[in-house]
Amino acid sequence: MNASVNVSPAPSGQNRMPGSTRVRQFFSQYKIVALLVAVALIWAYFSYATNGAFLTSRNISNLFRQMSITGMLALGMVFIIIAGEIDLSVGSLLGLLGGVAAILDISQHLPLPVTILLVLLLGALVGTFNGLWVTWLRVPSFIVGLGGMLAYRGALLGATGGSTIAPSSDAFVVIGQGYVSPATGNVLAVLILALLAFVTWRRRTARQRLELKVSPVWMDAAKLVAAAVALFVFVHVLNDYGGIPVPVLLLLGLLAVFSFIATQTVFGRHIYAIGSNIEATRLSGINVDRVRLAVFALMGVMCAFAGLVNTARLAAGSPSAGINGELDAIAACFIGGASMRGGVGTVHGALVGVLVMASLDNGMSMIDVDAYWQMIVKGLILVLAVWADVVSSGARR
Amino acid sequence: MATESAARAGENGDCLLDMRGIRKMFGSFAAVDGVDLQVRAGECLGLCGENGAGKSTLMKVLSGVYPYGSYEGEILVDGVPLQAHTVADSERAGIAIIHQELMLVPELSVTENIFLGREIRRFGGLMDYPAMHQRAEALLRELGIEGINVGQQVLHYGSGHQQLIEIAKALSKEARLIIFDEPSSSLTATETRTLLSIVADLKRRGVACVYISHKLDEVAEVCDRITVIRDGKHIGTRSMAELDTAQIVTMMVGRELGQMFERKPHTIGEVVLEASNVTCLDVMNPKRKRVDDVSLQVRKGEILGIAGLIGAGRTELVSAIYGAYPGTWSAELRIEGKPVHIRSPQAAVAAGLCMVPEDRKRDGIVPLMGVGPNITLSVLDHYARGGVIDGNREAHAFHHEMKRLNVRASSPMLPIASLSGGNQQKAVLTRMLMPDPKILILDEPTRGVDVGAKQEIYRLIFDLASRGMAIIVVSSEMPEVLGLSDRVLVMADGRIRGDFINDGLRQEDLLAAALELPHRIDNA
Repeated sequence: MNASVNVSPAPSGQNRMPGSTRVRQFFSQYKIVALLVAVALIWAYFSYATNGAFLTSRNISNLFRQMSITGMLALGMVFIIIAGEIDLSVGSLLGLLGGVAAILDISQHLPLPVTILLVLLLGALVGTFNGLWVTWLRVPSFIVGLGGMLAYRGALLGATGGSTIAPSSDAFVVIGQGYVSPATGNVLAVLILALLAFVTWRRRTARQRLELKVSPVWMDAAKLVAAAVALFVFVHVLNDYGGIPVPVLLLLGLLAVFSFIATQTVFGRHIYAIGSNIEATRLSGINVDRVRLAVFALMGVMCAFAGLVNTARLAAGSPSAGINGELDAIAACFIGGASMRGGVGTVHGALVGVLVMASLDNGMSMIDVDAYWQMIVKGLILVLAVWADVVSSGARR
Repeated sequence: MATESAARAGENGDCLLDMRGIRKMFGSFAAVDGVDLQVRAGECLGLCGENGAGKSTLMKVLSGVYPYGSYEGEILVDGVPLQAHTVADSERAGIAIIHQELMLVPELSVTENIFLGREIRRFGGLMDYPAMHQRAEALLRELGIEGINVGQQVLHYGSGHQQLIEIAKALSKEARLIIFDEPSSSLTATETRTLLSIVADLKRRGVACVYISHKLDEVAEVCDRITVIRDGKHIGTRSMAELDTAQIVTMMVGRELGQMFERKPHTIGEVVLEASNVTCLDVMNPKRKRVDDVSLQVRKGEILGIAGLIGAGRTELVSAIYGAYPGTWSAELRIEGKPVHIRSPQAAVAAGLCMVPEDRKRDGIVPLMGVGPNITLSVLDHYARGGVIDGNREAHAFHHEMKRLNVRASSPMLPIASLSGGNQQKAVLTRMLMPDPKILILDEPTRGVDVGAKQEIYRLIFDLASRGMAIIVVSSEMPEVLGLSDRVLVMADGRIRGDFINDGLRQEDLLAAALELPHRIDNA
């Protein structure tokens, strides 16, 4: 650590390395590429092992729908981890909020928008409550999460009386089981692509105006083409099986929002700053407690989304909903390149981490791997992924 | 060249340490490029060079932080090649290094730190505390250090005392060569005196020292010979007898430096900040007052220096004014005559009061972020609409500021932790200038900063004052306080012991006040 601080002409990543190191550096810089390669390998293997059944549009559609719930948790969790905290209560909170949604929908017969709003609001409130313990009362987030994990599960058991609440109203079920019509899917894909092209173009002109380094045209063009291909393959495959599932679309929307927050907003920048050095950030005149509180509140909102989707998917509020959900979400963030020490991590990385976990779950179930082996493999993959990250980033975590 | 004459000048020239043609590469960049270095037993060698010149790298090669094989060249200890693969290897050869950033474990006691890894054991691996305490006390007594309870946790001691504990630790390893890397950067004047007399004493006992420091008067006092390196290259080794500090500076920077303090005329106006009855309680022991009912005023365009020994309460005082004191505190503040209530740095910044903290690494830099975003951190809202950052305007701002304050980095997105101390300091200072404060508090503004950056920071301070900013400078370097300030407050034991107009003020006057020698204060 001293080396980089004291010896000022620290080697600053230009073309100074031999080939193999360059490859390594590329992967450490574009972790996401390495992760996508890993996903491709996993998919190729399962496709081979299932004689192609893994890659049918039906299964892919299922896979994405399965990952949407953990994905929503991971989106909230990645901010928590970047801020240098952890939240272990999210699985139980997902269950509790899903249970409340079921009660409002089934027992109270509230209209769907009211149910959704109330659940989201409750999520924000509980998240803020967690955050207050961490910021105001200075209890370590690990402990607050551990306490919440027990307490919220207990609250869920009390609220449901320990039994499943079913069946949800038809309107509610759409959130978890519905599909967007193929035509709408296509229109959305075109719109997203247009937006991407516009953003790329604007960034280029802005950088040119400020005389900043502009990446070569072919590179941006290649990125756009790759995005277009990925987008249309994605929509096409899902359209093949009834259209984009509603929870997947919801997840993608939230991904866009969280990516935007992380990279384009003052709030996002402050989250990274706090995770990297909270004291320096505080002394710079930033209200660090407010930022951390907001991060926890946001986590609560994501638990609400995940709880709503989960209840809708099962068409019921279950007292065991979301058990171990926090572990999957946290594992996904670390697979996706977030650092235990805070200050490092990306939203899209966390989601690809979820994709890795969901692909393993789905593929191993298809080839009838015993449940106990599934757990062992997932555990190994988590540790291996973080090890690979440590090695490629030169052990600086 | 000069090496020859110096080698002949030292008579009984048996080298304890002989480093030949050391070259250490980072990729294609040579941090150290063909440096020779000889140290004789009982000699103190000064190693000088600007930050980033390669001093620390060279010493890391020597102490085994960079293992044998990762560098070119040869190291001989007593004529025997040293091929250290770990720090333990070099320690076994009698080489100990005392790092600039102290490497003590705060939660362990002084004794436990001194013997960490080499504990005196009893049967069954139990710690022999009585023996270790006794030995630790003997070591401290040998060094003439008072006021350290070896059974206390190290966290109770300030960085001044911790430095001395580090020296005791090195001695307990029976080191024959001790490397001091910027040893006085966090010491007060008296503690530095103690340190220098300890080094002189070590020399008499035949222990060799390498003394790395930016404080050339110390180097001149304690060193027999000086080796200067610049950009990783060996510039020369001379006997101290044939040099003065100005010549060393010239060798270090490769050019003549103008005067360190180019005072710029500035007019002093109305009182901007008035702090009354500032009292801070110790965090660990709330019965003890770290700052005891202190009041001060700063005027527009005035540079107010706050001097004092370490532990006098200077940092505590200014952090309380800034709303950042970690323990309990009370203060009444007025800015431009209006009472303000500042209980957080956020409120301070909003009221037009900014502070650059003392400990750059702990409280200053946001290490993983780029230099640019580090600079705009305090005012990110200015470049945002509805919470969304306008990246272009932000980039424009930090490019402009980096150029204006000469913050050198290959890219504004380069993590700030990879820059030199001087550039980091300039960046953190820039960050706290971005809100355009009326009052600026600088706590140790040039600690661990090379000569060139130091001069730039001084110039900036005068420039800001001439534009009407009220500036408070807390510093342990007396020449800095005297060179910068219009008025100097001297603190001791949580109180203000002297308030001097800086007109022909001497270091002795400040020291006398800091040591609470009343007759000297009357003379001033």
